[in-house]
Amino acid sequence: MRRRQFLKMGVTAALLHAPAFAQGAGPRVVVVGGGFAGASCARALRQANARIAVTLVEANPTFTACPLSNVVIGGLRELSAQQFTYERVAADGITVVRATATGVDSQARSVTLGDGARLSYDRLVLAPGIDIRWGALPGYDEAAAERMPHAWRAGEQTLLLRRQLEAMDDGGLVVMSAPPNPFRCPPGPYERASLIAHYLKTRKPKSKLIVLDAKDAFSKQRLFQQAWAELYPGLLEWVSLSKGGKVVSVDPATNTLVTDFGKHQAKVANVIPPQKAGRIAEVAGVADASGWCPIDPVTFESKRQPNIHVIGDAAIAGAMPKSAFAANSQAKTCAAAVARLVTGAAPAAPKLINTCYSLVAPDYGISVAGVYVPTGGQLAEVPGSGGVSPAEAPRATRAVEAGLAEAWFRTITAEVFG
Amino acid sequence: VVRLAGLDQGAIVKAMQDFRAGRRIATVMDRIAKGFTDEEIQAIAAWYAAQR
Repeated sequence: MRRRQFLKMGVTAALLHAPAFAQGAGPRVVVVGGGFAGASCARALRQANARIAVTLVEANPTFTACPLSNVVIGGLRELSAQQFTYERVAADGITVVRATATGVDSQARSVTLGDGARLSYDRLVLAPGIDIRWGALPGYDEAAAERMPHAWRAGEQTLLLRRQLEAMDDGGLVVMSAPPNPFRCPPGPYERASLIAHYLKTRKPKSKLIVLDAKDAFSKQRLFQQAWAELYPGLLEWVSLSKGGKVVSVDPATNTLVTDFGKHQAKVANVIPPQKAGRIAEVAGVADASGWCPIDPVTFESKRQPNIHVIGDAAIAGAMPKSAFAANSQAKTCAAAVARLVTGAAPAAPKLINTCYSLVAPDYGISVAGVYVPTGGQLAEVPGSGGVSPAEAPRATRAVEAGLAEAWFRTITAEVFG
Repeated sequence: VVRLAGLDQGAIVKAMQDFRAGRRIATVMDRIAKGFTDEEIQAIAAWYAAQR
């Protein structure tokens, strides 16, 4: 009995101290963050090599997707259609740990969780998405967001903004503010403006929407502005940076947005504030002074910490936008590279894709697509590829693209969570 | 939406080349196909054809 116990202990101790690949144990990869980037990466790692032990760390039991969440704000979709669980991800043989990652020891190669537990890794993938840069816009803190929602991480904030619009009387003034680059979902503020305008036009036609922008140019601009002139004349007003659109402070007590040229007191205010990589990126030392994470464009390995990869919105990915499709494409690229690196093989040069739809109205969709390749240490567009929907197109084409936006969402969420 | 997994390799190659050349009506596939070489299109098609 004693001898058997001793042997058992001996075996356990040997396993604990064994290098990753001995004793038949596979390489260990920990993925932090279960959004489009993280969940995609965890599944792609398992698909690339079933011997890799993949752990996905995610604090929430449910994922709430941002794409199409502007349709929820516009009252034409329910939030439940945006929500997904990790059951199918776990069924792939991925260990899903519901916890917050609070620390990373890059020397010991371990992640600390909120309850103090530690996860050892051979490679770590951080997919933390965005955090709001609280304090970057004077007056805008977490309490202010309860009055002037950002709704830039889908969930309760999305519903709050929708409820405020529903509670507003006809004739009210809605004011949005759009941040400087870079930020999550470059066409997002303009899709949101469109769908709020659609709500106002159909439900509260005496109302008005002003979009105050910290930029002079934005994604799919020509297409948006053309559609606004056609669909929402006199209802939606976009104020560019050079026309005084930059919001310099907000006052949640009076629901006021302040620019250098005046004050806008709103009935409903939607402040899309400056952002940065999710908190764990800073803790792990992979974010630079910009708040975002420089990466190698072939492997997505951090330029600041070895064996840590960063994908999705948190990464500085050159010409690639911070979108769900880009995150998914980066996740597959990163997984392929990590699967090779953990077995000592050299990663292959990737090509990445982005496709992103925006709805200007429920039956009016526009898109942007791009193909990207590592060039001079950064991701650049393949010359001659990509671009936006045609400027001149019949409404039937816009309706087809609106339908494809839905199909896009069903396809990508089925791949990542289904 | 057409399911690509298990489609004939030659059919995928032809579709991608037609998208790239503007011979096939598209919304985004023309823009994406322009980012890939013949060799890459062959590799993509071979991968999808092998899926089930």
